[in-house]
Amino acid sequence: MAETSPPTSCGSSPVVASPMGTPLRKVLNRISGLASSCRSKKGPRGRCRGIFHRDVEQEEFQYASAHCLSSYYSVFVARLAIMAMLAILIALLTVLTWHFTKMYTTKSLKTLAFGLRYELLQRPILRMWGILNSTSEITTAQVKLSEYVIRRYSKPTTQAEQVELYQMMKDMTWALFASRKALNAITISYKNGFVQAFHRDHKNNNTFYIYSDLANYSISGNESPGNKMMSMRQGWDDQFIQGNVSAIWYREPLDPISGEKTGKALPIPPDDVINIAGPSQVPDGVASWHVAVSKYTDSPLLSAALPVWDSSNRSIVAVVGVTTALFSVGQLMKELVEVHSGYIYLTSQEGYLLATSTNAPLLKNTTNGTKLMMAVDSEDRVIRMGAQWLQKAYGNKFPPGDVVHVEKANLGGQHYYIDSFFLNLKRLPMVSILVIGCVCILILTNGVSKEMKLRAELISHLNARRRAEASSNYKSQFLANMSHELRTPMAAVIGLLDILICDDHLTNEQYAMVTQIRKCSTALLRLLNNILDLSKVESGKLVFEEAEFNLGRELEGLVDMFSVQCINHNVETVLDLSDDIPKLVRGDSARVVQVFANLISNSIKFTTSGHIILRGWCENPIVCSDSGKFSPDQKKPLSALKTKLKHHGNHMKKASKRDKKIVLWFEVDDTGSGIDPSKWESVFESFEQADPSTTRTHGGTGLGLCIVRTLVNKMGGEIKVVKKNGPGTLIRLFLLLTTPADGTEHHGLMDFAKHSVAVILALHGSMGRLIMSKWLSRNGVPALEASEWNELTQILHELFHPRTRNCCFDDHYSRGEPLRSMIHSLQDMRNPVYIVLVDLGLLDLSTDIWKEQLNFLDKFSGRVKFAWMLNHDTSNAVKIELRRKGHVLMVNRPLYKAKMLHILEAVIKERHAEIHKRSPNGNKGGSHECLEIDSTHFETCSSDDSEISEKGGALHAGEQPREGTVKSNTANCHTPKNCLVELTRLGSEVNILRADEDECNAWPKLHDTEDAKCENSNSPEQHHVSSCTKDGDNSYTSKAASGEKSLEGLRILLAEDTPVLQRVATIMLEKMGATVIAVGDGLQAVDALNCELVGKEYRRDRMQTDICDFPPYDLILMDCQMPKMDGYEATKAIRKSEAGMGWHIPIVALTAHAMSSDEAKCLEVGMDAYLTKPIDYKFMVSTILSLTKRSA
Amino acid sequence: MDLVKLQRQLVDYKASLYHECVLDEQFTQLQQLQDENNPDFVVEVVSLFFEDSERLLNELTKALEQQSIDFKRVDAHVHQLKGSSSSIGAQRVQKSCIAFRNYCEEQNVEGCLACLQQVRLEYSLVKTKLEYMFQLEQQILSSGGSIPI
Repeated sequence: MAETSPPTSCGSSPVVASPMGTPLRKVLNRISGLASSCRSKKGPRGRCRGIFHRDVEQEEFQYASAHCLSSYYSVFVARLAIMAMLAILIALLTVLTWHFTKMYTTKSLKTLAFGLRYELLQRPILRMWGILNSTSEITTAQVKLSEYVIRRYSKPTTQAEQVELYQMMKDMTWALFASRKALNAITISYKNGFVQAFHRDHKNNNTFYIYSDLANYSISGNESPGNKMMSMRQGWDDQFIQGNVSAIWYREPLDPISGEKTGKALPIPPDDVINIAGPSQVPDGVASWHVAVSKYTDSPLLSAALPVWDSSNRSIVAVVGVTTALFSVGQLMKELVEVHSGYIYLTSQEGYLLATSTNAPLLKNTTNGTKLMMAVDSEDRVIRMGAQWLQKAYGNKFPPGDVVHVEKANLGGQHYYIDSFFLNLKRLPMVSILVIGCVCILILTNGVSKEMKLRAELISHLNARRRAEASSNYKSQFLANMSHELRTPMAAVIGLLDILICDDHLTNEQYAMVTQIRKCSTALLRLLNNILDLSKVESGKLVFEEAEFNLGRELEGLVDMFSVQCINHNVETVLDLSDDIPKLVRGDSARVVQVFANLISNSIKFTTSGHIILRGWCENPIVCSDSGKFSPDQKKPLSALKTKLKHHGNHMKKASKRDKKIVLWFEVDDTGSGIDPSKWESVFESFEQADPSTTRTHGGTGLGLCIVRTLVNKMGGEIKVVKKNGPGTLIRLFLLLTTPADGTEHHGLMDFAKHSVAVILALHGSMGRLIMSKWLSRNGVPALEASEWNELTQILHELFHPRTRNCCFDDHYSRGEPLRSMIHSLQDMRNPVYIVLVDLGLLDLSTDIWKEQLNFLDKFSGRVKFAWMLNHDTSNAVKIELRRKGHVLMVNRPLYKAKMLHILEAVIKERHAEIHKRSPNGNKGGSHECLEIDSTHFETCSSDDSEISEKGGALHAGEQPREGTVKSNTANCHTPKNCLVELTRLGSEVNILRADEDECNAWPKLHDTEDAKCENSNSPEQHHVSSCTKDGDNSYTSKAASGEKSLEGLRILLAEDTPVLQRVATIMLEKMGATVIAVGDGLQAVDALNCELVGKEYRRDRMQTDICDFPPYDLILMDCQMPKMDGYEATKAIRKSEAGMGWHIPIVALTAHAMSSDEAKCLEVGMDAYLTKPIDYKFMVSTILSLTKRSA
Repeated sequence: MDLVKLQRQLVDYKASLYHECVLDEQFTQLQQLQDENNPDFVVEVVSLFFEDSERLLNELTKALEQQSIDFKRVDAHVHQLKGSSSSIGAQRVQKSCIAFRNYCEEQNVEGCLACLQQVRLEYSLVKTKLEYMFQLEQQILSSGGSIPI
């Protein structure tokens, strides 16, 4: 029965079988079975197996595996289905995209072309319409006037009256006829058979008056008005015909303008010249239209006929006919075709040609006179064929809508577009007149008409553009890929050159050459790096990382780096960051630094003397208005610009508030050669330099600023050159960076005011001094400035020997008065601490005078604290001497806020310590300070580094291992103990690296700074010569190994069959102080463990020291694949055996499978951790430590 | 000066070994493990590797010559070889072992034979190279210099 067999389908839990539950479960089984079968199209095997199991009642275990299998299948199939669906979706998307890009343009172009053609056809039709309209208007007017005139002479009784009537009619008709030049003829035929007509011959510009002989006609009609309509007409018609036959017609030429008679009237055969609209044309008493021909014109004529009723509106007294030539329609068509190629023709509904764009005749002469020509018989080949084609295609039945539009109609071997429009001339604005004149217009456009050409051109343009974009993209990608490949050999070349330069055997010439090669290679490498950056940005590969970084510190490091170059150039580098800049920002630190590195290096290139200032402030109106930190000469233009920028900034701010973003403004201000205003925009283009001739003197590729702008723009900022007073360039940019939530608050500055500190800045660089003193005063620290030695001595004298104030020697200084007042205010301070920051450059180092100067300063050492600003190349002798004299506060150029803060804090702390302990032991305080301002060592290091890199040498050896260690350090930081080990190692390493320096090393501090350095080490020379790398690594780990035996006292069982690995692992572990027992396979491992367990004495030994049982080994390293018994089995056995012991020996798997499934297997059998072969030394140690620590 | 030349030659040679991927940083680690307690550690391990590898290669040759090949056995051998080569940093041997194992899984005899050839080739390459290196080191030591790191 079903309830005894375990449920086989997946998903249904084995519910306790109850009588009620059974059918339910069956249903469940059925459903889930169905579901799985549905899900697994591909899994009949699994299903079969499931059924099989159900039937045979397999064991639980097997059931589980089957269950597993089927669920695997279903999951697999589900994944497959999802993937297939995804693929279909993607394909669909692609097709849609293609469709929309390609089909849509084509379609819109087609619509455009169609619209154009339609427009073209509309014009002749409109003209036609216009002609019809004017004809009908004229006819109506003529009829109305005739009615009026005839009514006036309604009952002509005498011949004279009759003649007067006709004369009246003639004048009136002439007036109408003359006003419409397009009219061919106006005719009036009276009831009595008399005819009056005006005719204009457009060909030879003659105008005629045609009339019939009056004599034959009775004066008055004999019909009474009471007669019936029908009879009346009958009689009238007869009479008319009679009159027609017998009458003599005269024609007299007229002056076309005045209507004066110009020639003699000549008799002509009736009806010969023109069509006189007779009563036959108004059969129902309504208007009629027809197309007529005349032998005097070669174009068809459109004539309208309208009856004139008598006053009682019952009888027709005359018929008015108006004839218009369709000549002008053809003219228009010709004009159209001249502009746009093709053929246009107009036919009547019956197929008669009315107008064409060609010169083919529209009329044909037959024996019965001139007749209209059918379109299918046209002499023009194309029109004929087009008409034939249309007839063949549609016969006489035109499609609904009456619009035919055919592409690629084959006419005589050529392709044409055919468009046909059908114009129904039904409703002419005539009173109660319904005109049914249907005109069909056909257009045949040549296959390559102008708009087609345009269209093709447009498409090809689009294609070309797409291709160009693609190729540009390829180029960028190619460069992005290739630059990397190019850099590697370049790095090798440079590395080899370095080795070569180190060779002692080179002659001077060779040395010079090699140096030159190296310079060139570096330049080439720099170019490659730039191109790589640029192409990365262009190909969209550049992704900014979002990480928190200390902006201030990054920039300080940068300025430190560049100040070395600046010192060489006799240029002062100043970093001036306002206090409101958040300490931590989020963004891509490397890219931010790159921006400033490029800008500063650019400035350095073009600045030979003066200063380079990197200013930074936060987007904040308050700060904007507070331009106190800027020097007075720059104040005005800056504030003016700021208002402009503020406008923009406000906008940004709105957006930024939402994203917790801040706008940081920066300026790079130099006193270099400057950029011509016309080039302010173009310097940011690639390969563009302000002055091409500078390439020779300054080098460079012109890519630097381009990269900067691209990066800035990518960071949501802008950069531009702004106007500056005085020489040099001022580049201003802003960046949009995110701040961490708490990052916006300003880091707590120490309240220096209450510590009553005063600073005397005896510094060379005027800009840096000015900025620093302003900053100090803003923070409540009075600052005095001195730019040279004598000034310093004067200030010191003023301060401490007030009685010598009046001595003549302070008269030499113009600043005497303000200085003195400052000094006075300082002397008012209660128990002040003076800090004198002395630039080493103030001392006369060229001779031995500096020692005397030092001695002089020593006199004040009790009352003031001296801090020294060193150059990066300050000789050791000077440093030692300073240290010997007890001057321990030293910073390296350039001075910026952080360094000043360090000095201040150090002094204040020392003072506090002194006050607290009352210990006069200066030494102790000294060492304390030394620690406090230890970051100054970092500065020393960094500038040394840059120096090294300048000289082009051992940077690679220095840089790489440091990076490596820091990385490994952060990776291993999860165990504090380990971290400490790493730190000490690091320290020792750095110690050796910096062995030539006499600085005291405090490792933890150094670690911090090193860390920071590594973050910002984006120096372009990051290539590593492999040998150097290895060597560096080497020195590091061997030192690390000797550093500390972190595994001291651990007993480790190593089960490993490969002798090599066994040996290596053993040595590794032993080096760390562990005791290693190595065995060859899993069986031996289990045996070794059991052996130890039974070894009573050992156990007793351990029991003596500890109360609880201790495992015989602290840890087992277990290879997974071993002969006899593999690691998994062995682990299982060990776990089983230790079940009763109350301990848990950590087992670490060693495996060559680097897959997570293996890891899962390892952990499943009871292993604690997992190491992949080849064994990574550090990782192994950290793993072991973390495990043993936990178990201990 | 001869010594300096030798030393430079050694450095270059080592660099070339790394560069040609004959060795990887595992070998560096191995070198770092060598100290005054185990002065000949690297040589020792490497010769262990040579012995082991030769044994394994022979076993493999034998196993593949059989009529019915025991692929499990072959796989185990290759795995061992892979393990030992990776522990001394003989990268190229290790890589060819990986390919070898793939063929083993497919039970592709021809692929296995080709791979065996390849492994043998790589092994002899690393052997010659290492032996030359040791020779250089020996020369340096005998002329009184220290082995540059």
